[in-house]
Amino acid sequence: MTAARVGIGGPVGSGKTALIEAILPHLAAAGIDTAVITNDLVTDEDAERLRRGGQLPPERVLAVQAGACPHTVIREDPTLNIAAADRLERDFPGLDLILIESGGDNLASTFSPDLVDFWMFVIDVAGGDDIPRKKGPGILQADLLVVNKADLAPHVGVDLPLMLDQAQAVRGGRPVIATVCRRDQGVAGILDLLRREVLFR
Amino acid sequence: MTPDALPLLTAMHLADSSFPSGLFAFSWGLEAALAEGQADPRDLAGWIGAELHGRWHPFDRVALAGGWRLDGAGLADWDDLVDASIPAEMQRQQSLQAGAALAASARRIGVALDDGHAPVVHGRFLRLSGLTLPDALAVSAMGMARGLASAAVRLGRVGAVAVQRDLLALLPRIAALTDPPRPDDLPASFAPISDIALMRPLASRLFVN
Ligand SMILES: Nc1nc2c(ncn2[C@@H]2O[C@H](COP(=O)(O)OP(=O)(O)OP(=O)(O)O)[C@@H](O)[C@H]2O)c(=O)[nH]1
Ligand SMILES: [Mg+2]
Repeated sequence: MTAARVGIGGPVGSGKTALIEAILPHLAAAGIDTAVITNDLVTDEDAERLRRGGQLPPERVLAVQAGACPHTVIREDPTLNIAAADRLERDFPGLDLILIESGGDNLASTFSPDLVDFWMFVIDVAGGDDIPRKKGPGILQADLLVVNKADLAPHVGVDLPLMLDQAQAVRGGRPVIATVCRRDQGVAGILDLLRREVLFR
Repeated sequence: MTPDALPLLTAMHLADSSFPSGLFAFSWGLEAALAEGQADPRDLAGWIGAELHGRWHPFDRVALAGGWRLDGAGLADWDDLVDASIPAEMQRQQSLQAGAALAASARRIGVALDDGHAPVVHGRFLRLSGLTLPDALAVSAMGMARGLASAAVRLGRVGAVAVQRDLLALLPRIAALTDPPRPDDLPASFAPISDIALMRPLASRLFVN
């Protein structure tokens, strides 16, 4: 049995690392053996943040450099990430799940099916409620769209229910989940979906 | 199509920068050298030429030829020898990382490759894909030159069009450098400026090295 590989993409600062930080305790509680790969644009800031967070042993967090191309390293040439995931599976037999965080990119970034079994796209409410209407490939093609920072909606003049409706509509009804990753809201729903769709347990 | 075109088409396919091998994320010292002024973005051909002469020709070319020529235990021994010929730990790890990325890609298209150092894995991969040794060497040298040029473009230090002049100017030199090594040649590079650039810590870096 090999580990499920799950991609987490989305624009810069939308809350990808925050989502990982929020979901790790849920995964641990469910007994799902997890490791993480980060694709920081510069150095390995996110990897260091996750290691410092202490929710996973530091050696279960690998950083892959993206050569100034966060897109390329998850789509056109995902081999560095594939090799890192293969290495994690070799080093940690029995691993159930590998989360792969993309470097922050634009609405066009998508994950190669060579690299992941399932991927989610994380957007930020404060980026504006017109983002789903812009129909970027990330928003349309992701297996799950996460609309994070729902807590900020009243502060940035966003009609959250409308934004979620439009997201559902452009995605033809495929899953959309609103979250506040900083306060662990909505994150359990992501875990449920992963268990159903990719972990099968 | 004439059957004669097949070797050229195979080489073009395997040399194409869109072939997934992870190499786009390596600058082999150029990122630090550009940041610190040792490499001149207006004379990229100078830096690339020095890398081809000082690193590719005496090291990668020889290591790759061993990977192309050897099998089984001989190949594993050769990879160990290449490993022992890279004294700097970081560089050694990065060569293994690049080798693992290419091997991961090759295995997924049905070419059975073990992990190893980048030039050794590349040599074996190109032979198993049907290239002659001279063609394999040309693919490798061109890959290094183009990889460095593309890193400079993505670092924003040269134009994507302007850099083609540097690459075109280098082609005759690349052709002259791709002579197959003798079987008893050993890999040993002399590229002190880029060796130092490879070891320099850089506060923020975009590339693996
Ligand atoms: N208000 C609010 N802030 C959040 C939430 N989730 C994340 N943030 C904040 O948003 C900022 C960016 O979060 P990150 O998790 O670093 O975002 P990222 O997508 O990983 O960023 P990059 O990796 O740099 O692209 C941080 O300051 C977080 O604290 C949320 O649900 N609500
Ligand atoms: Mg992050």
